[in-house]
Amino acid sequence: MRFFNRVWTRTFSYIVLLAFTAFFMVPVIWLLFSPFKTDHQLISENPFALGTLENLGHAVRVMFTFEDYSLLNWLKNSAIYSFGGIFIALIFSIPAGYGLAHTQFIGRRTLLGITLFVMIMPATALVLPLFLEANSVHAVGTPLAVILPFSFFPFGVYLAYIFYSSSVPKDLLAAARIDGCNEWDVFRRIALPLARPIVALVTFFAFVANWNNFFLPFVMLPNSTNYPLPIGLQDLLSTTPAFNPGQGGQVGIYRPELAVATIVAMAPVMIVFLFAQRSLVSGLLAGSTKE
Amino acid sequence: MAPVSLEKLTKVYPNGFEAVHEFDLEVADGEFMILVGPSGCGKTTAMRMVAGLEEISSGVLRIDGVVMNDVSPRDRDIAMVFQNYALYPHMTVGENIGFALKMKHIPKDEIEKKVRETAEILGLTEWIDRKPAQLSGGQRQRVAMGRAIVREPKVFLMDEPLSNLDAKLRVQMRAEVARIQRRLGVATIYVTHDQVEAMTMGDRVAVMRSGVVLQCDKPQTIYDHPLNLFVAGFMGSPSMNLFEVHLGEGGRTLFLGTQKVELPATVLAAKPSLVKFANKDVVVGIRPESLMIAGTKTNDNAKDFVFFEGDVDLVEALGSEILVHFSTDAHRVEAEGVYSDDAEGLDAGLITQRGEGVARVPPETQLVIGERVRLQVNPKRLFFFDPATGLALSE
Ligand SMILES: Nc1ncnc2c1ncn2[C@@H]1O[C@H](COP(=O)(O)OP(=O)(O)OP(=O)(O)O)[C@@H](O)[C@H]1O
Ligand SMILES: [Mg+2]
Repeated sequence: MRFFNRVWTRTFSYIVLLAFTAFFMVPVIWLLFSPFKTDHQLISENPFALGTLENLGHAVRVMFTFEDYSLLNWLKNSAIYSFGGIFIALIFSIPAGYGLAHTQFIGRRTLLGITLFVMIMPATALVLPLFLEANSVHAVGTPLAVILPFSFFPFGVYLAYIFYSSSVPKDLLAAARIDGCNEWDVFRRIALPLARPIVALVTFFAFVANWNNFFLPFVMLPNSTNYPLPIGLQDLLSTTPAFNPGQGGQVGIYRPELAVATIVAMAPVMIVFLFAQRSLVSGLLAGSTKE
Repeated sequence: MAPVSLEKLTKVYPNGFEAVHEFDLEVADGEFMILVGPSGCGKTTAMRMVAGLEEISSGVLRIDGVVMNDVSPRDRDIAMVFQNYALYPHMTVGENIGFALKMKHIPKDEIEKKVRETAEILGLTEWIDRKPAQLSGGQRQRVAMGRAIVREPKVFLMDEPLSNLDAKLRVQMRAEVARIQRRLGVATIYVTHDQVEAMTMGDRVAVMRSGVVLQCDKPQTIYDHPLNLFVAGFMGSPSMNLFEVHLGEGGRTLFLGTQKVELPATVLAAKPSLVKFANKDVVVGIRPESLMIAGTKTNDNAKDFVFFEGDVDLVEALGSEILVHFSTDAHRVEAEGVYSDDAEGLDAGLITQRGEGVARVPPETQLVIGERVRLQVNPKRLFFFDPATGLALSE
């Protein structure tokens, strides 16, 4: 009876796991296979049928040269917006988290509360006020209108705060002060180098959020040369006959080409994840103090 | 000019709690000063005020005669060893040791030379390129020491630096720390819980309770002449036996519970103030090692001894000696907050609420649990305390 129970439990969990894996992976696999096929093959053949390399070459060529290399331009824009935002976010969130965790000042708890509050607020709720703000300083349509809101990243402040208050003991900073550091040295020589895992973490989360953000750039950037990838993609969708029959086929963009663009949009997140993941799991602090 | 002088140093935490009250202390050149006291009595707070890590609420702190109250830690020329070592985890052993010198902008080759010398002294040469995470507890402790001694500061502050080490290593490091301190001749304030450290390492010991220094003197003086009940009970392990007794007419007898004990005339002669307690209660203190089992050792002056009886509750043979836990029907006095984290301390579960005491006797003594033994003590070794004030009767 016990044996039967165990087998049944195992089988059941495998079934559930398999179902979920299939649910999430099938679209991805389908997407990866798509550029190898023609538009017609895509809708008429077995979804997992293999296509040809010629088809892939064609789709890639068409997609990349489309409208004078628009895809590359969007990719470049996405990178500038995302990393610009991350850069500024890091410059502010690491010292902010450190300050919140290791200094005493009036309003510290209030500030922490506000940080938490804006952290759980949906980003889209802020888009309209941000637009009005950007508009009033005539920033709409410029990269800054996207980069500056991106650099506002309370989650990063919170992550840094948690890290500093839980993993960096006060005595470590006290030791540095006694060893001759002023407050700036304490931060730069001790607290900052220790923050490496948290820099990776903040970078990763900020990157995913920025890279995939659609609504904010959509509102802020009316000009197609400024589009980041998500807006570019949706622009493509609306000009493709498969999704918008009224458009006719004059632009030469079909589903396989769209699949190429989608993969291009997805790849950086995966690459950043791979790199960040290594430094996320870091025993940098082990052994500083004995528990 | 004393390297360190604390004058009525007081710390009131923002929540209103007064952790240290009018702390007076002078540490002389090269002196090793020990700070002991029960947990939470304010030792760390006092030390952090000297280091500049905690603001001084009132009082004056001088280092080498200069008022330091508002000087930042980095300008006080002190070095501190933390209980948790607080090593910089991202730096190697060498970088950890040399960090303070680097902050002083000392030339690189000179730093390297000094770090190498220090590592040599502490036997760390082999590990100089390792990170703290790759070291054992004892090695980390040495790095923490190295970080302090490389700077040749005016003052060393050490907050229970050995408490995280196992017993054997602690004994070894105890001697090593004391040796290094003597060699460098730097004034040192050293916080500890450990009785042996307190007795053996320091030139002087300051015993604290609830933020107040109760007595500050040479360890042996404190042991032989505790000023009050608390110090008497705190210093020494096992701690002093303290019984509340009733003093008879003229101070010539005392009643230990129901036992009547004759006091030789020498007792009153040595402590005339005892007369004032005739027909009153007084606290008598006897160190465990002053107690002997009567009849096991022939003694010429046995007639001058003070005798009383006790029932053997428990016998702890420690190899070099035996601890005899006995009980009487007298009232045992717990010097408030007396505590010992020593492994050889009394096991609370074994204590009956009678007048228990401990005697420390030679290992060959034959004892049977439950038997009644006659205990003897040289009357010169009796301590007397005023039960109302807790103060020792000196004269
Ligand atoms: N930041 C603080 N705010 C309020 N009270 C504090 C603060 N830090 C310490 N205390 C209190 O001050 C008292 C003294 O603390 P301290 O750390 O100096 O004790 P200690 O003698 O070093 O004890 P231990 O032997 O356990 O290390 C304690 O009662 C503690 O609760
Ligand atoms: Mg302490």
